Amino acid sequence: MKTLKRIFKAREISSLTFLIIMFLVVGAVNPAFLQIRNLFLTFNGSVVFVLLAVGISFVIITGEIDVSIGATLGLAAAVSATLLRGGSPWIVALIAAILVGIGVGLINGIGVTVLRVPSIIMTLGVNGIVRGAIYVYTNGKWVENIPFEFKALSQASIFKTVTYFFFCTILFMLLVHFILTKTRQGRHFAAVGDNMQGANLIGIPVDKTKVIAYIVSGIFAAIAGIVYVSRVGFVTPTAGNGYEMKAIAACVLGGISLAGGVGTVVGATIGAIIMASISRVLVFLQFSSDYDNTITGILLIVIVVADSLIQRRICEKARRERLSARTLSEVGGKGDE
Amino acid sequence: MQVIGEPPISETMISLRGICKCFSSNIVLKGIDLDIRRGEVVALIGGNGAGKSTLMKIIMGIYQQDKGDIYLNGEKVNMVKPSVALIHGIYLVPQEPMLFPNMTVEENITIGFPNKKSELHTRIVAIMDQLGWKIKLDRKANTLSIAEQQLVEILRGLLRDSKILILDEPTSSLTFNEVESLFKLIEDLKKKGICIFYITHRLSEVFEIATHVAIMRDGMITLKGPVSDFTKDDLVKGLLPPETKMKTSEKSEALDYTNLKPILQVQNFTGYGFRDINLEVYPGEILGVAGVVGAGRTEFATTIFGMDDVKSGHVIMDGEDITGASTRTVLDKGINYVPEDRYQNGIFKIGDVGSNLSSAFLRKSSKFFLNFKSEKQLADDYIKNFRIKVTGQNQVMGSLSGGNQQKVVIARALSTLPKVVILDEPTRGIDAGARGDVYTIINQLKKQGVAVLLISSDFEEIVELSDRAVIMYQGSINQSFIREQINLDNLTAASFGVYEEDGNE
Repeated sequence: MKTLKRIFKAREISSLTFLIIMFLVVGAVNPAFLQIRNLFLTFNGSVVFVLLAVGISFVIITGEIDVSIGATLGLAAAVSATLLRGGSPWIVALIAAILVGIGVGLINGIGVTVLRVPSIIMTLGVNGIVRGAIYVYTNGKWVENIPFEFKALSQASIFKTVTYFFFCTILFMLLVHFILTKTRQGRHFAAVGDNMQGANLIGIPVDKTKVIAYIVSGIFAAIAGIVYVSRVGFVTPTAGNGYEMKAIAACVLGGISLAGGVGTVVGATIGAIIMASISRVLVFLQFSSDYDNTITGILLIVIVVADSLIQRRICEKARRERLSARTLSEVGGKGDE
Repeated sequence: MQVIGEPPISETMISLRGICKCFSSNIVLKGIDLDIRRGEVVALIGGNGAGKSTLMKIIMGIYQQDKGDIYLNGEKVNMVKPSVALIHGIYLVPQEPMLFPNMTVEENITIGFPNKKSELHTRIVAIMDQLGWKIKLDRKANTLSIAEQQLVEILRGLLRDSKILILDEPTSSLTFNEVESLFKLIEDLKKKGICIFYITHRLSEVFEIATHVAIMRDGMITLKGPVSDFTKDDLVKGLLPPETKMKTSEKSEALDYTNLKPILQVQNFTGYGFRDINLEVYPGEILGVAGVVGAGRTEFATTIFGMDDVKSGHVIMDGEDITGASTRTVLDKGINYVPEDRYQNGIFKIGDVGSNLSSAFLRKSSKFFLNFKSEKQLADDYIKNFRIKVTGQNQVMGSLSGGNQQKVVIARALSTLPKVVILDEPTRGIDAGARGDVYTIINQLKKQGVAVLLISSDFEEIVELSDRAVIMYQGSINQSFIREQINLDNLTAASFGVYEEDGNE
């Protein structure tokens, strides 16, 4: 009973409600949308965004931001695709991609903590560097002719509905959720984002935690890159361009506060599914899917503005309470003149 | 370093020897020796900027000392970061609670512990039962009142089995009952052999719970020993600077109030951080507003200036009610406020001196295009009159010394030709020479018939300049003094809440 109550109070519930309502509304306009086959297509298509969103959640929960994940995805995809094309086993491609992710994450983390570069600037710069590296690495050409068996992986499914990729991603996400909420190290991320000075005061290694968050973000972006290769079947130099906005919007939509400290990867996943389905929804509503990015951007801003207005009111209230507590509760000791 | 008369280091829980600390050119601690033994409560008192909090932060490893050593149980320890201090059983309960607002009470208390959750839960419940405190453990920290947050902070320290607790003004936001239960707790802790550093602004508390007392002033300990050796008067004396030579010669003529009408009246004024303030200021008068930090003086001033909401009461300027008016309106009515923190609120750091000086004057001098000629003229006048040391009008503001920056900020306030000027800590952090210049400027204002509200924690400044003074204590005015009564003894006693009508002459 208590658990049930807690579940209904969670921030993720409003995201889930949003998702269901969106699906119902689209289904009302175009019933074809609600066909089981289509729903599963929608879910299966969200794997890349779910991975990105889960990874960047770590960074956002610690109160920072990472806009380099789109490029990280692209570079990891390009590197692994060339390896696969060259006949390397897929495990080698996966490890290479993850190394790319760790490298980018480490650079981001060190820039933000040791060099104290504001995270938006640091990761924006790294985004440019990594995107440039893709062009250099591929000579600006597409990486094609990926082995068929690897491409087929993305189609393999359980009971002809859920792909293994989606299934594994959800399992993986639940594991991460467990680590974040039930382990000591996991709680440090939220603590750092919630109150950095306070975290320092009780002995949490603030800088280390942030660096780990960036590395996790990089690794997830890299894994998303591998999935991208399998699903799309080729890699262009612009692969993953702009995905960071979708991932950030997914997190915010899933109840993760950009101020840090609040949110879960479950929420990020729900947000990512919503984000991934927007283009599909547009098609079913017979709009052009060209509106996709515009709508994502609008959603992002609307939610963040609403959230920050609420936050500001809470802060102001707390400040006033603090000041009021300092004054004498009853009128006494007035001036003698 | 004076070791004579100090107890041997091996017998103490923690010993500080010759602790020094500077922040850039500002010397905050000048060789502190302090000891605490098992079961002692050392009350640390002193005015603002005396260095109490800095000293405690050094013990906690938040800052590192420039010179001097810390000994724990006789062994030298390098407190390089807070986690080291935590390992050694030191816990600081900061004045402003530092909880994680988005976590529950229980999560807040238990975070950072390796132990099992269920075990910690039982221990927290046991501690709370023992204290008779009732806080729901599943509440989010951002729903707690400030007092409850403080209790959570203390619980955190207790759960850690800390041997040395540092309480930084713990009672400043607690209600009467909560203070009682805190004091009971402190008595308990004493018996268990835990030692406590207790920073406070309330002298009465010293006698209630402390075993020892140490008074800090200007980065030094001026008096320390068992509480039983001292009386309240001794403590007040310890807070005062020794034999200060007053430059009273410059003090201007006493005001003749008979024909004066108050320019600014404040009636039953209540806002966030202060309540029921009644005062009036006359043209050509300097009214000192004394008190310790957190007494509500700055909030009072910024609320008049339209930067915060009024709860009740009235502000009457020149016969006109301007309660709750916007900052711009208040400025237009002739009140100007020179803030305490000139870096945050006062200067345009990368602008040049000239444009900083003229920035408030622009609305009067220019319609759409700037009137450069009058701007330059104005800036030249002030640089000359106020003896602002610059290479020229185009020197960048940020490169000026603190004193000269402050002169620019005051000059700018005056360029709007105000009738009332509120100066908030006008000489904090500036050197003696510039201080003299600022005093001259304030006296010039007075001669020109401007009413000055002088907010200051530097009581010498209030004594030197004020025609009258009011003292704020915990958000209210608890005393007001006429010119003859303004002296350091009275001001200090009143701002620590222990002024007695007959006790001091």
